[in-house]
Amino acid sequence: MLLLTFRDLVYRKTRFMVVTILGAVVFALLFVMTGLVNQFNLEPADTVDQFGADEWVLPEGVSAPFTSVSVMPVAAVDDVDAETKSPVVITRSSLSDGGAPEEVVLVGFEPGGLGAPQVVEGRAPEGPGEVAADVTADVEVGDEVAVGGEPFTVVGLTENTTVLAGIPLTYLTLPDAQMLAFTTTQVISSVLVAGDLGPLPPGLASLTPDDVVDQTLQPLEGAIASVDLVRALLWIVAAIIVGAVVYLSALDRQRDFAVLKAVGTSNASLLGSLALQAVLIALGAVALAAVIQIFLAPQFPLPVTVPNSAFWQLPLLAVIMALAAGAIGMRKVLRSDPSEAFAGAA
Amino acid sequence: MTIGSLKVSDLVVEFVHDGYAIRPLDGLSFGVEPGELVVLLGPSGCGKTTLLSCLGGILTPTSGSIRLGDHDVTNMKGKQLDAYRREEIGFVFQAFNLIPSLTARENIAVPLVLTGHSRKVAFARADELLQEVGLAERGNHLPSKLSGGQMQRVAVARGLGHNPPLLLADEPTANLDHIQAEAIIRLLQSLRDDGRMIVVSTHDARLVPIADRIVHMVPPDQHEERPTHDVSYSAGDSIFEQGDPADLVYMIKSGNVDVIRVLADGGEELLNTLGPDQYFGELGPFLGFPRSASVRATSDVVLTAYSPRVFREKVLHKN
Repeated sequence: MLLLTFRDLVYRKTRFMVVTILGAVVFALLFVMTGLVNQFNLEPADTVDQFGADEWVLPEGVSAPFTSVSVMPVAAVDDVDAETKSPVVITRSSLSDGGAPEEVVLVGFEPGGLGAPQVVEGRAPEGPGEVAADVTADVEVGDEVAVGGEPFTVVGLTENTTVLAGIPLTYLTLPDAQMLAFTTTQVISSVLVAGDLGPLPPGLASLTPDDVVDQTLQPLEGAIASVDLVRALLWIVAAIIVGAVVYLSALDRQRDFAVLKAVGTSNASLLGSLALQAVLIALGAVALAAVIQIFLAPQFPLPVTVPNSAFWQLPLLAVIMALAAGAIGMRKVLRSDPSEAFAGAA
Repeated sequence: MTIGSLKVSDLVVEFVHDGYAIRPLDGLSFGVEPGELVVLLGPSGCGKTTLLSCLGGILTPTSGSIRLGDHDVTNMKGKQLDAYRREEIGFVFQAFNLIPSLTARENIAVPLVLTGHSRKVAFARADELLQEVGLAERGNHLPSKLSGGQMQRVAVARGLGHNPPLLLADEPTANLDHIQAEAIIRLLQSLRDDGRMIVVSTHDARLVPIADRIVHMVPPDQHEERPTHDVSYSAGDSIFEQGDPADLVYMIKSGNVDVIRVLADGGEELLNTLGPDQYFGELGPFLGFPRSASVRATSDVVLTAYSPRVFREKVLHKN
């Protein structure tokens, strides 16, 4: 069976190569789409995790710090019953290093407190006029930039600190953020709490980090559903490609199957040969796709993080899909009549 | 090799095509003894391949029986038939039907592997058979790199893979020039030496001299010259029936006849009504086919019956 399968693959190598390449392009897109959805899900979790808070205290009625405007008096910090707590300001703004302004989320923090950035290069802002930005903001340590129209110096860079599909966080000291966002130092957006949180006074509510992650994902639900739909369509395209080539192969080999049946070969052996061919094409395409996605992913405007699980799930699904798609071709084998072997030259 | 004689008794194959019942085999009987080469002789369409399909357990006849030694082939089903084909029958198909992606050696060995033999045994047998058919040096060539005669020899070797007692060859010399055909004929001749039965279907008269027995698929006397004579029928009489052997051509002197096609469901379809000076029944005798329709008298008729040769000379050429 193996010999019959491999020899046929070699004999029709041009067709199988074309199909494998086509399939690989489709599977590479599937890898990237999977990475995109994965990144959508990972992004808020990574970002929220870096704030180091166990609870986020917000004014009652505010859904989440990154998706709605949250304003509370700075005096509310005293009303929060917790051992470790830090006020933060979170607001949308813009950052420009001389070119077109880019949308950013400003995070005002108290140096040494919760919400301080975990820089991967340089240092965290310590005083007025200093910012640290996510590496995707495309600035360097030492760059002079404008944040909300005010001049700042980049002193550090952070990683994995983006929200809402790639909007970079930009950290600055709490007073600078307060002045930029509210033009007063008397208001903040939220109080971050580490450890136990006592009862909150009326007008305040708390969210767990998971709540914040879920709420931050909400605006992306439509985008995620769209990508999922594209993924489903890509699976259909892949199935059509593999199914078509297996069907064509069965059609081309109908006489061969009739001859082999006539000499007593069982249907199971012939089906096995065709099924193996479908599986090999699918696995070949997935293997090539795994290489293509390495070059394809960086071309996407949004970060793409292909999960490790995709590298075994996708081949497994591809094999199942190939067997299902090849079923029409296999049906042809089952139906091939051994008496066709007696027919004259085609 | 299991040895036993082959007995075909009163074999009928009927199938429906485009709503009409066709009987390519109608009551055929013959026998083959071990070591005999039997030639099924007849023109295209006379049922040779249908008969080979029945002998090979590929087609179940409508009635009659086929026995090979102890095997009652006509009563076998499913896996029994698979095993029968795998163990007792070797096939040599028209147009070679080699698998194009496999080398000559693999074409012989792969069917053996697929039917349960080990690779080692299968390839050793393939080498042995290639040697036997004189193609030991061409074993690693694809069919596309072999001549027609070489391909046919590989096909014969494939048919002999499991050393079957009965080899069925369908038009083995078709598509071959006389040199290649001679090599195949010599090969087939040699294969019966160890008691193998060989049934060859052909319309190639070159195979006749080597046959131990000839089965004429079309009765050989049907084209015998018969004198021109008049025949009379009463209204409602059948002049001939669909499927009857065709021997004479009829010209209507007086009266009328209906030409009727008998359908598979037993119904009838009127094809034509003919009258004086019209003729019918010419194609069957000319082509060697059985009657393709029935003809019945619708009134008292007088017909002149001609042999095909006389009809061609006196009626067709005269016009």
